Amino acid sequence: DIDPESLLPKLPNPEELRPYPTTCAAVFSGHEGRVRSIAVDPTGTILASGADDGTVRLWELLTGRQLQRIRIGDEPINAVRWRPGRDALILAAASGNEVYFVIPLTIPNMTPAVESASRTVLDMGFGHATGKGDTNSASQKIPGSTWSRPGSKLEEQGVLLKIVVRATVKVICFHRRGEYFATVAPSGQSHAVAIHTLSQHRTQLPFRKLKGLPQTATFHPSKPLFFVATQRSVRIYDLSRQQLVKSLQPGAKWISSIDLHPGGDNLIVGAYDKRMMWHDLELSIHPYRTLRFHTKAVRAVKVHPGGLPLFVDASDDGTCQVYHGRVVDDLMENATIVPLKTLRGHKVTSQLGVLDVDWHPRNPWCVTAGADGTCRLWT
Amino acid sequence: ILESSLADIKFAWTEAGLREEFEAEEVADLIQALFAESADLKRYALSTLVNSLLESEKPVPFEFLINGQFLRTTLDEFLTANGISAETTLSVEYVRALLPPTQTATFPHDDWVSSVDVLSATSPAARWTRDAHIDGSRQRILSGSYDGLVRVWNTSSELVATSPSLGNGGHTGGVKSVKFLSPTKLVSASLDRTIRIWSYKESTTSPATATIDPAFELYGHQSSVDSIAVHGPSGRILSASSDHTVGVWTAHKSSAPEAPTDLLPSSLPSSKRRKLSRAGPTVPQRGPLALLAGHAAPVTGVAFSPTAPNVAYSVSQDHTLRTWDLLAVPDAPNTAEVSSRMVAHPLLSVCVMPGLSLVAAGTSARSVVLIDPREGAARVVAKTLKGHANSVVALAQSPVSEYGLASASHDGEVRVWDVRGGSIAVQGGDSQGDEGKGLVVESVFTLPRESMKGKPRKVAGEGVKVLGMAWDRDIGIVSGGEDKMIQINREAE
Ligand SMILES: [Mg+2]
Repeated sequence: DIDPESLLPKLPNPEELRPYPTTCAAVFSGHEGRVRSIAVDPTGTILASGADDGTVRLWELLTGRQLQRIRIGDEPINAVRWRPGRDALILAAASGNEVYFVIPLTIPNMTPAVESASRTVLDMGFGHATGKGDTNSASQKIPGSTWSRPGSKLEEQGVLLKIVVRATVKVICFHRRGEYFATVAPSGQSHAVAIHTLSQHRTQLPFRKLKGLPQTATFHPSKPLFFVATQRSVRIYDLSRQQLVKSLQPGAKWISSIDLHPGGDNLIVGAYDKRMMWHDLELSIHPYRTLRFHTKAVRAVKVHPGGLPLFVDASDDGTCQVYHGRVVDDLMENATIVPLKTLRGHKVTSQLGVLDVDWHPRNPWCVTAGADGTCRLWT
Repeated sequence: ILESSLADIKFAWTEAGLREEFEAEEVADLIQALFAESADLKRYALSTLVNSLLESEKPVPFEFLINGQFLRTTLDEFLTANGISAETTLSVEYVRALLPPTQTATFPHDDWVSSVDVLSATSPAARWTRDAHIDGSRQRILSGSYDGLVRVWNTSSELVATSPSLGNGGHTGGVKSVKFLSPTKLVSASLDRTIRIWSYKESTTSPATATIDPAFELYGHQSSVDSIAVHGPSGRILSASSDHTVGVWTAHKSSAPEAPTDLLPSSLPSSKRRKLSRAGPTVPQRGPLALLAGHAAPVTGVAFSPTAPNVAYSVSQDHTLRTWDLLAVPDAPNTAEVSSRMVAHPLLSVCVMPGLSLVAAGTSARSVVLIDPREGAARVVAKTLKGHANSVVALAQSPVSEYGLASASHDGEVRVWDVRGGSIAVQGGDSQGDEGKGLVVESVFTLPRESMKGKPRKVAGEGVKVLGMAWDRDIGIVSGGEDKMIQINREAE
């Protein structure tokens, strides 16, 4: 007889897979309402957060010290995302059916040169419209999508550009080079998924006839591929050829979040039905692994962007699960996935737990956003 | 053990450098003391014995090191735990025990205290200027705060002077680091990317009042300046910035290079510029002697070698301690890097321990590592100091013992260590590469925040993170933090 256990591949001991986040190192207190979205800046020193209190806040990452508070409006801030790259430092924030672009003037890495470069990135589109001698032809094709200054009160705080779309924006995702970004407004029907060109202040709607309700989206880091998640599937489109390449079937009833491994060949998917899926895009349209570690919805998933073999999810049960996930180039060998640590600390508030999670760009540190009104740094 | 070891038990009075051999009957007493039943009784018996041998008028508490390890149990337990056979020769050393400071004072602040420094007869700034006239009434505490201000206090919690505010020649962001360069010159570094030199003048009236006036501003860093080190005799300043560089500057205005114009506030395109340039005195602006590149992540700490001020050390979130030869500045800054030593974790603070030829560095992984900075040394980490529950962000050497070290942490505590001794790390514990294999040292005592008295502990030191610390022979251990307090801990007179 052969012991079936002996046929299973041996998983490494979590202790041998250090470093990974284990301990809460800072609590960011100040928001008066659920923190919906967080993002660590590309230099790894500043945390941005957006909450139901209508404010965007900037914090010194290591100490939890608040550096700036910007009141955008009365509506919840559903998403905050940094534009990739270090030449300019720009934060996008979604409030209702508007997306605001902020140059946070109080953060220490905002040198005069970075500030100028950031202003150029945001203002180029105004010039573009004028240069064509046309009153913004692109947005005329799509009534309801307008690009404008947000008014002097916000401009004084560094909020320099506003885009109005059709419905409430829940997700903002940038292309790696920072020139394109997409917004997802699930209730927007044919306007739900939009791709915007920052330098031209232009909005396009390439997915007017999408089957199912769009939830979230992401760009491939190097190929012209775009991933759109509806409630049940993840569709991969080739943007240059304007065609559907593949439709992944994670097996979930309602997808909440997706994130691509920086290599571009593996995708993780979080679902409101408590699970998380790992897809090897070369292997199958079905998940390579399904991970059930939570008792409530999984709201966010994130792969470490800086080359560490780590990924993490965030759940309404108030915890985050940190995993080891090593991708090998060898086609014969599959990814190694090992659960490492459950991060506990956020208080479940009105049945909502951890709403967003992000990684530090280099270190094995992650930050979480809670319905309890706090953010936490884990090291 | 009696026959084989008697003659070999040697005592060394390490602080005074005095060595003594024992008389026969004294050795008998010693053996009795060493074999005392309980650990407490044993330590008391040993202490009494040593005090009587030294004929001390006032008994001094002692600690005992056997073969380099602190004896904290009974000798039997110690020998078993360390696998020492009774036949072995034991080397016994006694040292003055570090006592938990019992006297404390706190000064309330308007905002988080990021950094502190001291001026006393024995502090570096006074020693450099050979100013021996700093008695108790002239001792000063310098603090930097997130409100952008630099303050000077006397040791009776009274504010003596405050730096100008934003718009009046002051910092435009939180202050992250402050130092006395001399009894009349202060240096501060800020989130606003600048380092500022201030003239500090005290009146001769009683009680003393003082002024902090801007002397000049140093531009060059592209992001926050999180830590500085100063060397009075040469007027050199080192800075650690989150822009990944180490700045080298001079505090002599006449020999300082011109400021890089693209970093000056006058080149700011924002409305901030209008606010800043409104009114206020014009303060001279200067640039760096060099910005040393090499680190691949924010630089978090800098230090001059106390024995060779042309040697500098820096630590970074890139996991490295780098050694720099300042003689290469400013002519060939590219050749200034002497060595780079990598550990397993991001480093956040640094302190040179010259007597041990080691450099202590605080990590984000809740430890202090003692690093051998020499490129050729076989082992990078000599010892790991464990016990903190959060990032270790400030370190200070004991003013009396070359083995004494204090560490300040975001866990809300200052810990004091005697870095002698240590036990072999348990396999599989919090092990990471080199740190896991070395000796692990535990702290001698812990100083909690006074502001936490009677309150439940909060996770991650929320509200009480210690951010800055200094250790002075005359004033004691001075620390400041998120609780908006400066706290002084000192031994009772
Ligand atoms: Mg593969």
